[in-house]
Amino acid sequence: MLASGQAARDARDLRWSALMGAAQEGDGAAYATLLAECLPLLRAICRARLRDATEAEDAVQDTLLTLHRVRHTYDPARPFRPWVAAIAERRALDRARRRGRQVARETLLDDAAELGAEGEAEERLAARQLREAVGGLPQAQRTALQLTKIEQLSLQEASARSGMSIGALKVATHRALHSLRRRLTGDAP
Amino acid sequence: MRTEEMIARLACGLRPVRRMPSPLVLLALWTLLAAAVIGLAALVFGTRAGLDRPMTGFETMHSLAALLTALLAGLAAFELSLPDRDRRWAWLPLPAIGLWLGTMGVGCVGELVRLGAEGIRFHVSWHCLQFIIGLGLPMAGLMLWLTRHAAWIRPLPVAGFGALSAAAFASIGLTLVHPTYGPLMVLAWHGVAVLAVTGLAALFGPRLAWRVPA
Repeated sequence: MLASGQAARDARDLRWSALMGAAQEGDGAAYATLLAECLPLLRAICRARLRDATEAEDAVQDTLLTLHRVRHTYDPARPFRPWVAAIAERRALDRARRRGRQVARETLLDDAAELGAEGEAEERLAARQLREAVGGLPQAQRTALQLTKIEQLSLQEASARSGMSIGALKVATHRALHSLRRRLTGDAP
Repeated sequence: MRTEEMIARLACGLRPVRRMPSPLVLLALWTLLAAAVIGLAALVFGTRAGLDRPMTGFETMHSLAALLTALLAGLAAFELSLPDRDRRWAWLPLPAIGLWLGTMGVGCVGELVRLGAEGIRFHVSWHCLQFIIGLGLPMAGLMLWLTRHAAWIRPLPVAGFGALSAAAFASIGLTLVHPTYGPLMVLAWHGVAVLAVTGLAALFGPRLAWRVPA
Protein backbone atom coordinates (compact mmCIF):
# COMPACT_ATOMS: atom_id res chain seq x y z
CA MET A 1 0.00 0.00 0.00
CA LEU A 2 2.75 2.39 1.07
CA ALA A 3 4.94 1.32 -1.82
CA SER A 4 2.16 1.96 -4.34
CA GLY A 5 1.60 5.43 -2.85
CA GLN A 6 5.29 6.20 -3.21
CA ALA A 7 5.27 4.90 -6.80
CA ALA A 8 2.31 7.16 -7.61
CA ARG A 9 4.14 10.14 -6.12
CA ASP A 10 7.30 9.31 -8.08
CA ALA A 11 5.26 9.05 -11.29
CA ARG A 12 3.59 12.39 -10.54
CA ASP A 13 6.96 14.05 -9.85
CA LEU A 14 8.34 12.77 -13.15
CA ARG A 15 5.24 14.02 -14.94
CA TRP A 16 5.54 17.46 -13.28
CA SER A 17 9.25 17.70 -14.20
CA ALA A 18 8.42 16.87 -17.82
CA LEU A 19 5.54 19.39 -17.89
CA MET A 20 7.78 22.15 -16.46
CA GLY A 21 10.49 21.26 -18.98
CA ALA A 22 7.91 21.70 -21.74
CA ALA A 23 6.70 24.96 -20.17
CA GLN A 24 10.26 26.29 -20.25
CA GLU A 25 10.23 25.58 -23.99
CA GLY A 26 7.09 27.74 -24.28
CA ASP A 27 4.34 25.07 -24.15
CA GLY A 28 1.40 27.01 -22.61
CA ALA A 29 -0.92 23.99 -22.41
CA ALA A 30 1.65 21.97 -20.43
CA TYR A 31 2.14 24.97 -18.14
CA ALA A 32 -1.61 25.37 -17.50
CA THR A 33 -1.94 21.64 -16.77
CA LEU A 34 1.04 21.71 -14.42
CA LEU A 35 -0.16 24.74 -12.46
CA ALA A 36 -3.67 23.32 -12.14
CA GLU A 37 -2.28 20.00 -10.87
CA CYS A 38 0.01 21.80 -8.37
CA LEU A 39 -2.76 23.98 -7.00
CA PRO A 40 -3.87 21.58 -4.21
CA LEU A 41 -0.24 21.26 -3.05
CA LEU A 42 0.25 25.05 -3.06
CA ARG A 43 -3.01 25.57 -1.17
CA ALA A 44 -2.04 22.96 1.42
CA ILE A 45 1.33 24.64 2.03
CA CYS A 46 -0.12 28.16 2.25
CA ARG A 47 -3.04 27.13 4.47
CA ALA A 48 -0.65 25.42 6.87
CA ARG A 49 1.05 28.79 7.45
CA LEU A 50 -1.91 31.16 7.13
CA ARG A 51 -5.12 30.43 8.99
CA ASP A 52 -7.12 33.04 7.12
CA ALA A 53 -8.46 31.48 3.90
CA THR A 54 -8.30 34.72 1.89
CA GLU A 55 -4.73 35.40 3.00
CA ALA A 56 -3.78 31.82 2.10
CA GLU A 57 -5.31 32.15 -1.38
CA ASP A 58 -3.44 35.46 -1.86
CA ALA A 59 -0.23 33.65 -0.91
CA VAL A 60 -1.04 30.96 -3.51
CA GLN A 61 -1.36 33.69 -6.13
CA ASP A 62 1.94 35.28 -4.96
CA THR A 63 3.52 31.85 -5.34
CA LEU A 64 2.20 31.47 -8.90
CA LEU A 65 3.57 34.90 -9.85
CA THR A 66 7.00 34.13 -8.36
CA LEU A 67 7.06 30.69 -9.96
CA HIS A 68 6.27 32.33 -13.30
CA ARG A 69 9.02 34.93 -12.80
CA VAL A 70 11.74 32.44 -11.82
CA ARG A 71 10.68 29.55 -14.05
CA HIS A 72 14.08 29.68 -15.78
CA THR A 73 15.77 28.63 -12.50
CA TYR A 74 14.18 25.16 -12.56
CA ASP A 75 16.45 22.32 -13.69
CA PRO A 76 14.31 19.50 -15.23
CA ALA A 77 16.93 16.97 -14.11
CA ARG A 78 15.89 17.66 -10.50
CA PRO A 79 12.54 16.90 -8.80
CA PHE A 80 9.92 19.62 -9.31
CA ARG A 81 8.10 19.32 -5.99
CA PRO A 82 10.88 20.68 -3.69
CA TRP A 83 11.37 23.61 -6.09
CA VAL A 84 7.73 24.66 -6.10
CA ALA A 85 7.26 23.88 -2.40
CA ALA A 86 10.21 26.13 -1.43
CA ILE A 87 8.66 29.04 -3.34
CA ALA A 88 5.22 28.49 -1.76
CA GLU A 89 6.73 28.27 1.76
CA ARG A 90 8.60 31.51 1.20
CA ARG A 91 5.60 33.42 -0.16
CA ALA A 92 3.34 32.20 2.64
CA LEU A 93 5.96 33.20 5.21
CA ASP A 94 6.31 36.67 3.63
CA ARG A 95 2.55 37.18 3.76
CA ALA A 96 2.36 35.97 7.37
CA ARG A 97 5.10 38.46 8.34
CA ARG A 98 3.40 41.29 6.47
CA ARG A 99 0.14 40.45 8.21
CA GLY A 100 1.93 40.43 11.57
CA ARG A 101 3.36 43.90 10.91
CA GLN A 102 -0.07 45.19 9.87
CA VAL A 103 -1.65 43.91 13.06
CA ALA A 104 1.11 45.58 15.10
CA ARG A 105 0.49 48.89 13.30
CA GLU A 106 -3.26 48.63 13.85
CA THR A 107 -2.65 48.08 17.56
CA LEU A 108 -0.40 51.15 17.63
CA LEU A 109 -3.13 53.19 15.94
CA ASP A 110 -5.62 52.03 18.53
CA ASP A 111 -3.23 53.16 21.24
CA ALA A 112 -2.62 56.48 19.48
CA ALA A 113 -6.36 57.20 19.33
CA GLU A 114 -6.39 57.29 23.09
CA LEU A 115 -3.95 60.19 22.99
CA GLY A 116 -6.22 62.28 20.75
CA ALA A 117 -8.08 65.42 21.82
CA GLU A 118 -11.33 63.50 22.14
CA GLY A 119 -9.99 61.14 24.80
CA GLU A 120 -11.01 62.15 28.28
CA ALA A 121 -8.30 61.91 30.91
CA GLU A 122 -10.27 59.38 32.92
CA GLU A 123 -10.89 57.17 29.92
CA ARG A 124 -7.22 57.24 29.03
CA LEU A 125 -6.30 56.34 32.57
CA ALA A 126 -8.81 53.48 32.59
CA ALA A 127 -7.53 52.24 29.24
CA ARG A 128 -3.97 52.32 30.51
CA GLN A 129 -4.95 50.45 33.66
CA LEU A 130 -6.74 47.86 31.55
CA ARG A 131 -3.71 47.44 29.28
CA GLU A 132 -1.41 47.06 32.26
CA ALA A 133 -3.77 44.58 33.90
CA VAL A 134 -3.98 42.53 30.67
CA GLY A 135 -0.20 42.76 30.31
CA GLY A 136 0.18 41.27 33.78
CA LEU A 137 -1.83 38.13 32.95
CA PRO A 138 -0.07 34.83 32.19
CA GLN A 139 0.48 34.19 28.47
CA ALA A 140 -2.18 31.44 28.19
CA GLN A 141 -4.84 33.70 29.76
CA ARG A 142 -3.86 36.61 27.49
CA THR A 143 -4.17 34.38 24.43
CA ALA A 144 -7.53 32.99 25.54
CA LEU A 145 -8.85 36.52 26.21
CA GLN A 146 -7.58 37.83 22.89
CA LEU A 147 -9.14 35.02 20.84
CA THR A 148 -12.46 34.53 22.60
CA LYS A 149 -13.34 38.03 23.81
CA ILE A 150 -11.48 40.50 21.58
CA GLU A 151 -11.46 38.59 18.27
CA GLN A 152 -14.72 36.89 19.27
CA LEU A 153 -13.78 33.58 17.71
CA SER A 154 -15.84 30.50 18.50
CA LEU A 155 -14.28 28.11 21.00
CA GLN A 156 -13.54 25.66 18.19
CA GLU A 157 -11.78 28.32 16.13
CA ALA A 158 -9.87 29.67 19.12
CA SER A 159 -8.82 26.14 20.00
CA ALA A 160 -7.58 25.50 16.43
CA ARG A 161 -5.68 28.79 16.39
CA SER A 162 -4.04 28.54 19.81
CA GLY A 163 -3.54 24.80 20.06
CA MET A 164 -5.26 24.87 23.48
CA SER A 165 -8.12 22.48 24.23
CA ILE A 166 -11.65 23.92 24.52
CA GLY A 167 -11.70 23.10 28.24
CA ALA A 168 -8.37 24.85 28.80
CA LEU A 169 -9.61 27.89 26.84
CA LYS A 170 -12.76 28.14 28.97
CA VAL A 171 -10.79 27.90 32.20
CA ALA A 172 -8.13 30.39 31.02
CA THR A 173 -10.78 32.92 29.87
CA HIS A 174 -12.69 32.60 33.13
CA ARG A 175 -9.53 33.07 35.20
CA ALA A 176 -8.43 36.02 33.05
CA LEU A 177 -11.77 37.83 33.53
CA HIS A 178 -11.80 37.05 37.23
CA SER A 179 -8.24 38.34 37.61
CA LEU A 180 -8.99 41.53 35.64
CA ARG A 181 -12.12 42.24 37.68
CA ARG A 182 -10.14 41.80 40.87
CA ARG A 183 -7.32 44.09 39.74
CA LEU A 184 -9.47 46.85 38.27
CA THR A 185 -12.11 47.04 40.99
CA GLY A 186 -9.78 46.22 43.85
CA ASP A 187 -12.12 43.38 44.99
CA ALA A 188 -10.65 40.95 47.44
CA PRO A 189 -10.07 37.45 45.99
CA MET B 1 -8.99 37.62 -9.63
CA ARG B 2 -9.66 33.93 -9.11
CA THR B 3 -6.59 31.71 -8.96
CA GLU B 4 -7.75 29.47 -11.82
CA GLU B 5 -8.19 32.58 -13.95
CA MET B 6 -4.68 33.69 -13.06
CA ILE B 7 -3.28 30.33 -14.20
CA ALA B 8 -5.03 30.71 -17.56
CA ARG B 9 -3.54 34.20 -17.96
CA LEU B 10 -0.01 33.09 -17.02
CA ALA B 11 -0.15 30.19 -19.47
CA CYS B 12 -1.59 32.27 -22.31
CA GLY B 13 1.09 33.30 -24.81
CA LEU B 14 3.84 31.66 -22.73
CA ARG B 15 7.32 32.46 -23.98
CA PRO B 16 10.26 30.06 -23.95
CA VAL B 17 12.93 30.86 -21.35
CA ARG B 18 16.64 30.17 -21.27
CA ARG B 19 17.47 27.91 -18.33
CA MET B 20 19.87 29.18 -15.69
CA PRO B 21 23.37 27.75 -16.00
CA SER B 22 24.36 25.47 -13.12
CA PRO B 23 25.94 27.13 -10.03
CA LEU B 24 29.39 25.76 -11.00
CA VAL B 25 29.15 27.34 -14.46
CA LEU B 26 28.04 30.62 -12.86
CA LEU B 27 30.98 30.41 -10.43
CA ALA B 28 33.42 29.97 -13.34
CA LEU B 29 31.86 32.98 -15.10
CA TRP B 30 32.00 35.03 -11.91
CA THR B 31 35.68 34.12 -11.32
CA LEU B 32 36.57 35.16 -14.86
CA LEU B 33 34.73 38.48 -14.47
CA ALA B 34 36.40 39.14 -11.10
CA ALA B 35 39.83 38.31 -12.55
CA ALA B 36 39.17 40.73 -15.42
CA VAL B 37 38.18 43.53 -12.99
CA ILE B 38 41.27 42.89 -10.82
CA GLY B 39 43.50 42.85 -13.91
CA LEU B 40 42.01 46.17 -14.99
CA ALA B 41 42.58 47.66 -11.51
CA ALA B 42 46.21 46.48 -11.54
CA LEU B 43 46.66 48.17 -14.91
CA VAL B 44 45.12 51.44 -13.67
CA PHE B 45 46.81 51.58 -10.22
CA GLY B 46 50.04 49.79 -11.17
CA THR B 47 51.42 46.78 -9.30
CA ARG B 48 53.31 47.14 -6.02
CA ALA B 49 57.07 46.85 -5.66
CA GLY B 50 58.44 43.42 -4.75
CA LEU B 51 55.65 41.46 -6.41
CA ASP B 52 58.23 39.18 -8.04
CA ARG B 53 59.61 38.14 -4.60
CA PRO B 54 58.41 34.64 -3.62
CA MET B 55 55.65 34.66 -0.99
CA THR B 56 56.33 33.45 2.55
CA GLY B 57 54.37 30.49 3.90
CA PHE B 58 52.13 32.83 5.88
CA GLU B 59 51.44 35.05 2.86
CA THR B 60 50.60 32.00 0.77
CA MET B 61 48.16 30.75 3.41
CA HIS B 62 46.54 34.19 3.71
CA SER B 63 46.09 34.48 -0.06
CA LEU B 64 44.82 30.91 -0.40
CA ALA B 65 42.30 31.50 2.42
CA ALA B 66 41.07 34.65 0.66
CA LEU B 67 40.77 32.78 -2.65
CA LEU B 68 38.92 29.89 -0.99
CA THR B 69 36.57 32.38 0.72
CA ALA B 70 35.91 34.11 -2.60
CA LEU B 71 35.17 30.82 -4.40
CA LEU B 72 33.15 29.07 -1.68
CA ALA B 73 31.12 32.18 -0.73
CA GLY B 74 30.41 32.65 -4.44
CA LEU B 75 29.30 29.03 -4.82
CA ALA B 76 27.10 29.29 -1.70
CA ALA B 77 25.48 32.45 -3.11
CA PHE B 78 24.72 30.75 -6.46
CA GLU B 79 23.39 27.59 -4.81
CA LEU B 80 21.20 29.50 -2.33
CA SER B 81 19.85 31.64 -5.16
CA LEU B 82 17.98 28.59 -6.47
CA PRO B 83 14.71 27.84 -4.65
CA ASP B 84 15.16 24.08 -4.22
CA ARG B 85 18.73 24.02 -2.90
CA ASP B 86 19.53 23.00 0.65
CA ARG B 87 19.98 25.85 3.14
CA ARG B 88 23.04 24.06 4.47
CA TRP B 89 25.02 25.45 1.53
CA ALA B 90 25.39 28.47 3.81
CA TRP B 91 27.82 26.45 5.96
CA LEU B 92 30.22 25.75 3.09
CA PRO B 93 32.29 28.96 3.15
CA LEU B 94 32.51 29.22 6.94
CA PRO B 95 35.82 27.26 7.42
CA ALA B 96 37.50 29.33 4.70
CA ILE B 97 36.17 32.56 6.24
CA GLY B 98 37.47 31.43 9.63
CA LEU B 99 40.90 30.65 8.16
CA TRP B 100 41.02 33.99 6.36
CA LEU B 101 40.05 36.00 9.44
CA GLY B 102 42.49 33.85 11.43
CA THR B 103 45.42 34.71 9.15
CA MET B 104 44.45 38.40 9.40
CA GLY B 105 44.44 38.08 13.19
CA VAL B 106 47.79 36.24 13.24
CA GLY B 107 49.21 38.95 10.96
CA CYS B 108 48.02 41.62 13.37
CA VAL B 109 49.52 39.86 16.40
CA GLY B 110 52.79 39.30 14.50
CA GLU B 111 53.00 43.00 13.72
CA LEU B 112 52.22 43.87 17.32
CA VAL B 113 55.05 41.63 18.56
CA ARG B 114 57.45 43.02 15.95
CA LEU B 115 56.64 46.68 16.43
CA GLY B 116 55.48 46.80 20.05
CA ALA B 117 53.50 49.88 21.07
CA GLU B 118 54.45 51.55 17.80
CA GLY B 119 52.32 48.99 15.98
CA ILE B 120 49.07 49.95 17.66
CA ARG B 121 49.28 53.64 16.86
CA PHE B 122 45.98 54.54 15.29
CA HIS B 123 45.88 55.53 11.69
CA VAL B 124 43.37 55.04 8.92
CA SER B 125 44.54 53.17 5.85
CA TRP B 126 42.54 55.15 3.30
CA HIS B 127 44.30 53.46 0.43
CA CYS B 128 43.22 50.04 1.67
CA LEU B 129 39.66 51.17 2.39
CA GLN B 130 39.28 52.96 -0.93
CA PHE B 131 40.63 50.03 -2.88
CA ILE B 132 38.49 47.30 -1.31
CA ILE B 133 35.33 49.40 -1.18
CA GLY B 134 35.99 50.97 -4.60
CA LEU B 135 36.60 47.59 -6.20
CA GLY B 136 34.36 45.50 -3.95
CA LEU B 137 31.13 47.48 -4.42
CA PRO B 138 31.05 47.38 -8.25
CA MET B 139 32.00 43.71 -8.08
CA ALA B 140 29.22 43.12 -5.55
CA GLY B 141 26.88 44.86 -8.02
CA LEU B 142 28.02 42.44 -10.71
CA MET B 143 27.32 39.55 -8.35
CA LEU B 144 23.84 40.92 -7.60
CA TRP B 145 23.18 41.00 -11.31
CA LEU B 146 24.27 37.36 -11.66
CA THR B 147 21.97 36.31 -8.80
CA ARG B 148 19.09 38.71 -9.49
CA HIS B 149 16.52 35.92 -9.88
CA ALA B 150 17.15 35.00 -6.23
CA ALA B 151 15.77 38.27 -4.87
CA TRP B 152 12.38 36.66 -4.52
CA ILE B 153 13.44 33.67 -2.50
CA ARG B 154 16.40 34.15 -0.09
CA PRO B 155 17.69 37.67 -0.72
CA LEU B 156 19.72 38.18 2.44
CA PRO B 157 22.15 35.21 2.44
CA VAL B 158 22.58 35.48 -1.33
CA ALA B 159 23.47 39.20 -1.13
CA GLY B 160 25.69 38.63 1.93
CA PHE B 161 27.70 35.73 0.51
CA GLY B 162 27.83 37.35 -2.93
CA ALA B 163 29.30 40.52 -1.47
CA LEU B 164 31.72 38.58 0.72
CA SER B 165 32.95 36.77 -2.37
CA ALA B 166 33.37 40.13 -4.14
CA ALA B 167 35.22 41.62 -1.15
CA ALA B 168 37.51 38.58 -0.93
CA PHE B 169 38.36 38.89 -4.63
CA ALA B 170 38.94 42.64 -4.11
CA SER B 171 41.31 41.90 -1.24
CA ILE B 172 43.28 39.52 -3.46
CA GLY B 173 43.44 42.37 -5.97
CA LEU B 174 44.72 44.60 -3.19
CA THR B 175 47.72 42.32 -2.57
CA LEU B 176 48.80 43.01 -6.15
CA VAL B 177 48.92 46.78 -5.68
CA HIS B 178 49.45 47.26 -1.93
CA PRO B 179 51.68 45.46 0.63
CA THR B 180 48.87 43.90 2.69
CA TYR B 181 51.24 42.20 5.12
CA GLY B 182 52.59 45.56 6.28
CA PRO B 183 51.46 47.66 9.21
CA LEU B 184 48.96 46.35 11.71
CA MET B 185 46.42 49.03 10.89
CA VAL B 186 46.47 48.11 7.21
CA LEU B 187 45.42 44.58 8.10
CA ALA B 188 42.78 45.88 10.50
CA TRP B 189 41.35 48.26 7.90
CA HIS B 190 41.48 45.50 5.37
CA GLY B 191 39.07 43.55 7.59
CA VAL B 192 36.90 46.63 8.18
CA ALA B 193 36.64 47.25 4.43
CA VAL B 194 35.60 43.64 3.75
CA LEU B 195 32.96 43.88 6.47
CA ALA B 196 31.75 47.22 5.08
CA VAL B 197 31.28 45.83 1.55
CA THR B 198 29.57 42.69 2.84
CA GLY B 199 27.33 44.62 5.23
CA LEU B 200 26.33 47.27 2.68
CA ALA B 201 25.46 44.68 0.07
CA ALA B 202 23.52 42.53 2.54
CA LEU B 203 21.61 45.63 3.67
CA PHE B 204 20.83 47.24 0.33
CA GLY B 205 21.42 44.39 -2.12
CA PRO B 206 18.05 42.68 -1.65
CA ARG B 207 16.21 46.00 -2.11
CA LEU B 208 18.16 46.81 -5.26
CA ALA B 209 17.87 43.29 -6.66
CA TRP B 210 14.14 43.37 -5.95
CA ARG B 211 13.80 46.12 -8.53
CA VAL B 212 15.74 44.27 -11.23
CA PRO B 213 13.27 42.38 -13.43
CA ALA B 214 14.24 38.71 -13.34
